[in-house]
Amino acid sequence: MTTSMTEHATANMSVTEKTCIEAQDLKIHFKLKSGFFSKPRYLKAVDGVSFSITQGKTMGLVGESGCGKSTVGRALLRLYDPAGGKILFNGEDITHSSDAQMQPYRKKMQMIFQDPYTSLDPRKNIRDIIAEPMWALRLYEGKEREDRIRELIEMVGLKPDHLNRYPHEFSGGQRQRIGIARALAAEPEFIVCDEPISALDVSIQAQVINILEELQENFHFTYLFISHDLSMVRHISSEVGVMYLGNLVEYAQVDELYDNMMHPYTKSLLSAVPVADPIRASKSQRIILQGDVPSPIDPPSGCPFRTRCAYAKDICAKEKPLLQNINDKHKVACHLYK
Amino acid sequence: MSEKTGETLLEVKNLRTSFQTDAGIVQSVRGISFHANRGESLGIVGESGCGKSVSMLSIMRLLADNAHLKADKILFNGEDLLHKTAKEMRSIQGNRIGMIFQDPMTSLNPLFTVEEQLCNPLMRHLKLSKKEAKARALKMLEDVGIPSPEKRLSQFPHELSGGMRQRVMIAIAMCCQPELLIADEPTTALDVTIQAQILDLMAHMKQEYGTSVILITHDLGVIASICTRVLVMYSGLVMEEGSIEDIFYRTGHPYTAGLLASIPKETKEKLIPIYGTPPDLLNPPKGCPFTARCPHAMEVCRQYQPPLVPLGEHHSSACWLHHKSVKAKIGEVKL
Repeated sequence: MTTSMTEHATANMSVTEKTCIEAQDLKIHFKLKSGFFSKPRYLKAVDGVSFSITQGKTMGLVGESGCGKSTVGRALLRLYDPAGGKILFNGEDITHSSDAQMQPYRKKMQMIFQDPYTSLDPRKNIRDIIAEPMWALRLYEGKEREDRIRELIEMVGLKPDHLNRYPHEFSGGQRQRIGIARALAAEPEFIVCDEPISALDVSIQAQVINILEELQENFHFTYLFISHDLSMVRHISSEVGVMYLGNLVEYAQVDELYDNMMHPYTKSLLSAVPVADPIRASKSQRIILQGDVPSPIDPPSGCPFRTRCAYAKDICAKEKPLLQNINDKHKVACHLYK
Repeated sequence: MSEKTGETLLEVKNLRTSFQTDAGIVQSVRGISFHANRGESLGIVGESGCGKSVSMLSIMRLLADNAHLKADKILFNGEDLLHKTAKEMRSIQGNRIGMIFQDPMTSLNPLFTVEEQLCNPLMRHLKLSKKEAKARALKMLEDVGIPSPEKRLSQFPHELSGGMRQRVMIAIAMCCQPELLIADEPTTALDVTIQAQILDLMAHMKQEYGTSVILITHDLGVIASICTRVLVMYSGLVMEEGSIEDIFYRTGHPYTAGLLASIPKETKEKLIPIYGTPPDLLNPPKGCPFTARCPHAMEVCRQYQPPLVPLGEHHSSACWLHHKSVKAKIGEVKL
């Protein structure tokens, strides 16, 4: 390890329990095509989501496809302009920062993408791929940059002689490691991992997860881990948020959520996860949801989940339930808990 | 369920499939033997590229032109599939053996309505009239749990959600009441909630029609929830075969043990990955293909391919650790 990275790590160690990133009532709306005179219509991808992640911790974000979990991740990095709410990074409001104002924050926030086959430029060699953030953010020069690249490639378990090769020469797991090395190139504090393992085989998934965990131990990174693999989310996260149709329906400390889930959606989502243990699998009762997720263009009134909920009451159609504290580790947005 | 439950329905012996490519000959399946019984669900697990899909496509004879297929025998219900002509095979494909493909987004034809795609096999195989076929199609859509089936019949695949399309795929595969249903990663592209619906539906269809199921997946959780017997494949070979209890609780192969160890547990202990990557099938290793990644690898593994050694009544594993001579030397190894 070079001194720069060690200093970076110790500097962070002293400030544990500090909030790294926070979303307050975050809203991301996408404008849809509509006629010139007709009222503009919006797709409410994220509709008022609040949470915060403590430095050095991992928050898992789960939900079905189209629930807005990736949009939340991208919005935190300011890749979208929020329609409402606030984003705070290390306590500073970056909700409406301009590109120039964002520049110092860019190096502190990075992203690992889902598909290692499409997220690496096939025409660049590995050295150039890893160097790209350094080049874009004007970090390191000359020999220092080369040393840093070598350090990074070793950190993710590859060898410096891989640097002259091209992405097609690597397997999926190795490519994902290259993606991780690229994300680390800028010395980030906060990393959004958007389904980093879903394109990988089971035996390779564990390799990548172990690397992410080791890096977090050594450098105190903060992760937002977006995934639909609920057992992996339980393994890696300290807090978990469950999203449904652009809303955070439940948010809790990880064991509290898995052992004492409250929202009917969370219950059915977790019960649907197949258990890799025949005896437990034969005992577990699946709660099978009827129908599909409604369209976010025209979401149901009141609670977004009421159309598929077995416990829906009159109030659920009238009033949208707010995320409220059940205890200090657990929040849920449901009219059943009042 | 038919009274013939438990009888052998499909028997495959020494199946080898290779592909002629620009880079050379890729040996995707390198000599596998297995059987499927009537009324049972057989799971096949393995990593991408281990030959699980290719072996099923070989049985269905749906391989591309550059494929070369060899086998000692492929018997389906006592009939030899290996020497059937393409025309004879067509009366089996989609009729007596149904197949569900992995990706419902790409395996339905975007140019035809659900009705056309569902009635086609009914009219072709069961010789139903258009009207009868439509009535049957309607009932099938109802059976697979599609709401307002009349409306869906006239829709095109792009108008349906992923879960709906997979249901339509199941309806097409099941409409001629096949004796064998091959499901190639039927839920991999779907969300867990939809996956649960589809697995439930498959279990229900199996009950109702007494169909045997071969389920290909890489998810051990899916295997544990609906299969009775499991085949573990690696690098074009069968590594282990047994009941789900054998595979999960009396694991006989280091590869299976490695797969089980890389799944996260509730206790959050550190995951134990299988290091390295699978071998290149253009140039497969001489000995056991798992040698390079195996924590128990010995010299003999590098030199010779291990035979399948029986460990229990229906449980066998291809690993030198179970061989008499090795056991005599180093004793029983705990996996």
